[in-house]
Amino acid sequence: MPLVSIVMLCWNRLEDVRESLTRIRLIEYPELEVIVVDNGSTDGTPEMIEREFPEVRLLRMTENIGIAAYNRGFERARGEYLVIIDDDSFPAPKAIGRMVRKFERDPDLGVVAFDVRNFYHYDEVAQVEEPESSAKDSSATAAHYYMSFNGAGVGIRTNLFRRVGFYPEEFFLYNNEMDSAFRIWDAGYRIEFHSDVVAYHKYSPVNRTSWRAPYYYVRNAFWLVWKNYPAPMALRLTRSLLFKCVHASLEQRTWIYLKAMRDAFRQANLIQGKRKPVREEIALNLRVPYDVFFTFYR
Amino acid sequence: MEYQRPLNALIIRSASFQQLDQNLPELLAAFPDHRFDMLTHEHGMKLALKYQDLNRIISYSHSGSFSIRRREPGLRGIRYDVVIIPVANLTGAGFLNVLFFSLTIKTNRRFLCNMVSDIKRVTVPAILLKGLGSVINKFVSGLLTLATYPILRLALPRMLSRLDDPSRKGNS
Repeated sequence: MPLVSIVMLCWNRLEDVRESLTRIRLIEYPELEVIVVDNGSTDGTPEMIEREFPEVRLLRMTENIGIAAYNRGFERARGEYLVIIDDDSFPAPKAIGRMVRKFERDPDLGVVAFDVRNFYHYDEVAQVEEPESSAKDSSATAAHYYMSFNGAGVGIRTNLFRRVGFYPEEFFLYNNEMDSAFRIWDAGYRIEFHSDVVAYHKYSPVNRTSWRAPYYYVRNAFWLVWKNYPAPMALRLTRSLLFKCVHASLEQRTWIYLKAMRDAFRQANLIQGKRKPVREEIALNLRVPYDVFFTFYR
Repeated sequence: MEYQRPLNALIIRSASFQQLDQNLPELLAAFPDHRFDMLTHEHGMKLALKYQDLNRIISYSHSGSFSIRRREPGLRGIRYDVVIIPVANLTGAGFLNVLFFSLTIKTNRRFLCNMVSDIKRVTVPAILLKGLGSVINKFVSGLLTLATYPILRLALPRMLSRLDDPSRKGNS
């Protein structure tokens, strides 16, 4: 049975981390390694992990370095497969076994995206969790476009993820999954959601009202375009994003989108040397929900 | 005895399943006696099947966002008593395209359901009024985009070339 490395990133969420790690102990898959990367918490989270979860490999960052901290965890993972979760999410007990079987059956499957459900409705959702299906039956895919994945619950082949450079550290927060999706599809692997592979996430409406989500989603949307699309498409999409930034700023009466756009240009040196346009087929077919990036402000 | 058609409601899946896990019980409570259908993009079909309270799941035939220009042929000829538009924030900002799309569906009543499950009726005149405001904003945005486009057209290819991965120089 192949080793699976669960990598969690945490920052000042002691109770949520405790709950997720407790639930992880219920996972019905024996060959597991759990790595928690603490992004400089000051609320006692790392001390709690050391005290209560000695089986966990804890990596402590001295400050919050955003998603770059995930990469420190991925680099140290020994498993053949990675499972990425947030500090407030966890895989269902049967999820990892099912994920491994899907990977083992299908060498071109690069990513198993979990069906990430709302933890606060755990009892309702857990009752309707599907019995395991064959890979074909449970895959939630579309015939005419490709999908990305949700970083709150996803399994990835470790070697593949290493080959595509893990998460883009310069993004700091948000849209990192989308950037990885471009490179995974371009490497010739598929990303598939599977309805019988479930993770639970504490869906938090309150956290979504901060400035961070609209700022980072939009700044990073420009970088997604510049890093991944062939030049003519990049020009068209940049023009479209520029229009959306101005329009959303006027509609929502905020400077945040213009600030994000300004910083995308100003800080473009952070993605210097990282532009690798994907094949046209991928650029045309990977579904990027650009409109959604402008819905997080209020 | 006169046959009475059961009341029906359509949820346009314009928010995540995590949000819908939270919204659905509230919607069922707010619209008792209704049979619920859901319209979702193709990739959401399998995941929506987990909701046992749904009567029917309809696949949106387009890969792009919901848009008044991209009608759903599968809804032709169906009248809904209620159409629900979940929005992934508090105010519905940024969801005008879905509101406009809802105008392509036959119904008398439309409701927004936000991230904390507040359910608020939205009328056709209110949607049209928002649309009017948006047209003005689009005009201004279009002018500004047009004004900056020549600079963008000159500068962006140079910038992209500077950003190129050295191992791929000349390929983009």
